[in-house]
Amino acid sequence: MALPKRIIKETERLMSEPVPGISAVPHEDNLRYFDVTIDGPASSPYEGGKFRAELFLPDDYPMTPPKIRFLTKIYHPNIDKLGRICLDVLKSNWSPALQIRTILLSIQALLGAPNPDDPLANDVAQRWKENEPAAIQTAREWTKTHAMA
Amino acid sequence: MPLPHHRANITYPQNAGRAQGFECPFKDCGMEHSTADCSIDVTLNKMVEVVKVQMAHSASNSANIPLRLDERLNMRNLIDTSIDVMPRSRVLHGSRIVSAFTMADMGELDYSSELSFTPLDPDLEETIKSLDVALAGDLREIIRGECECQVCYGLMVDPLTTACGHTFCRKCVARVLDHSTLCPACRRPLPMRPGATTEPSNKRMSHAIEGLLTDELAARIVAVEQEETLHEDGWMPLFPCTLAYPAMPTFLHIFEPRYRLMIRRVLESGSRKFGIIMYNARGVPQGSLGRSVFMQYGTVLHISRIEVLPDGRSILETHGLYRFRALESSMLDGYIIGRIQRIDDMPLAEEEAAEALETRGPVPVGDNHEARISHMSTQALLQYNLDFVARARTRSERWLHDSMLTAYGQPPTDPAIFPYWFASILPIAEDEKYLLLPTTSVRERLKMTARWIRVLEEARCARIRVMRLARPLELEVDEDEASQQDDDDSTVSTAEPETPEAAETADAQPATANSPQAFPSDQSQQQQ
Ligand SMILES: [Zn+2]
Ligand SMILES: [Zn+2]
Ligand SMILES: [Zn+2]
Repeated sequence: MALPKRIIKETERLMSEPVPGISAVPHEDNLRYFDVTIDGPASSPYEGGKFRAELFLPDDYPMTPPKIRFLTKIYHPNIDKLGRICLDVLKSNWSPALQIRTILLSIQALLGAPNPDDPLANDVAQRWKENEPAAIQTAREWTKTHAMA
Repeated sequence: MPLPHHRANITYPQNAGRAQGFECPFKDCGMEHSTADCSIDVTLNKMVEVVKVQMAHSASNSANIPLRLDERLNMRNLIDTSIDVMPRSRVLHGSRIVSAFTMADMGELDYSSELSFTPLDPDLEETIKSLDVALAGDLREIIRGECECQVCYGLMVDPLTTACGHTFCRKCVARVLDHSTLCPACRRPLPMRPGATTEPSNKRMSHAIEGLLTDELAARIVAVEQEETLHEDGWMPLFPCTLAYPAMPTFLHIFEPRYRLMIRRVLESGSRKFGIIMYNARGVPQGSLGRSVFMQYGTVLHISRIEVLPDGRSILETHGLYRFRALESSMLDGYIIGRIQRIDDMPLAEEEAAEALETRGPVPVGDNHEARISHMSTQALLQYNLDFVARARTRSERWLHDSMLTAYGQPPTDPAIFPYWFASILPIAEDEKYLLLPTTSVRERLKMTARWIRVLEEARCARIRVMRLARPLELEVDEDEASQQDDDDSTVSTAEPETPEAAETADAQPATANSPQAFPSDQSQQQQ
């Protein structure tokens, strides 16, 4: 099927006006599939890390949200072992007026502000609530091990 | 804005502001509008804002150019010719566009008037011309920026403004409504019918786009038409099988090779959509289709999940999108394709008017059920239906089996959707349920389901009376035995008092019978 104009435009804009600290590059053989890299935000336990993710635009996009998954291991209360992300705008709060750019910015913001009260990774959230400094230390170590090549 | 008044007897839709209305002050309209349909036009205001900024910028660049503007009145548009209107004449500064804008901004330029311009310094003629050419280009560009649809990222085609004041292409709003009832820009509820076919276009935006971006608009329209012929609203594969409804799931088992091909093509095209239709078992004429083998009204389904079994059969989980009427049909590689026309509900204004009219008079006396339900407000009709479901639940009726609720969800509180849910699980004749498809009034659909309830309850009472007379002590046992029976020929309208249980139990097998574990229903959704 021909690629909708909207996806072509979004891709062009992502290329011509990239978001600082975020890159999203479509696959040549599947323009709905993007390789994503998100830099860990400054003064967060993820600072200095480069986190890889995959993003897929379903047939119904933008009526349904993009599907995104972290590929790099990350210690975060809202991201589970499989890299799935718990973020309202990727689910019930999606709106067709949102776009790849805004979604990736929301994810970057989520790295800067973990929310253990709305967890996806329960064990991580538990630890985050019980002993925040230790959890942050673990997140920092994971960043060093997995996200700094 | 004129003072609002209370709109009597309107309960649906139940959005804030719909109970308040006002008489439209525009002479060519004069209708009553609900205040909920009224707000600031966000997109147009933004456009005016950026144009003002640009004008102010240009004005500061051409402040040293004095220009005389002479108004030429358009006599045809003068409503009251008895008033002696004098054409205005002003000396303003700036190029033609800038000074005309200034005059309009001062409130001194009639919408239908024309202007003639005379530079006070004839040597500046060329300068003015080149300033205007550059400004026109800039204006076109910034207006173009505001005329981009936030859904498709293209120039708006047939701009439609929502009640919350946001503007998108009409087609884009229709697409959004297939998935959600919230505005994409602000997430406020959209008081609109699926399809968005009856709301008026935004005339000002249309004029701006048609006038300033003529070529781009023409190219967009061609592109949209091409996209559409590739997709839907034209010819669509039709699968003759069962009744299905918008907003409801339908589970299908595909095993015939021709239908496997059909489903594969639907998936490969990316549309994931096909129409589902019922067989025309009685050979009743079907509009422009004549005595076709299938019924003319159906529902477009979207494949949400597919499980392909190792032997090539597949199990589909689908979701009903919208109703359609087939206008003509043909065959393609063994399966039916049809040219379809989408069916949407009547405009809200008509729906509200019907409710206000029917519920206006005094409450009918006596036991005339039809008069009673006609007099009920739309919300009361919904409540009447919901109460029946609640009573059936306390009686643990078979058709309200847990597996049915798992598959179809709890009874919807949206009056437009409730009848589809009810028909999906209620075991009555398909012929009767089919009549929901061509009905374009929410109120009428609720009245139909209310009539079903009446027949079912009468049948139930009759049965209990008969059984009380015969074996009063074994009533409970009897009821259970009765519901074991199965009678496919019964319909609500023909349910006879002597076999009343038939109406209540036809098709009412537990939803999980014979169906694969993952798909908790088989209520006649198997491929024929
Ligand atoms: Zn009006
Ligand atoms: Zn659009
Ligand atoms: Zn809005």
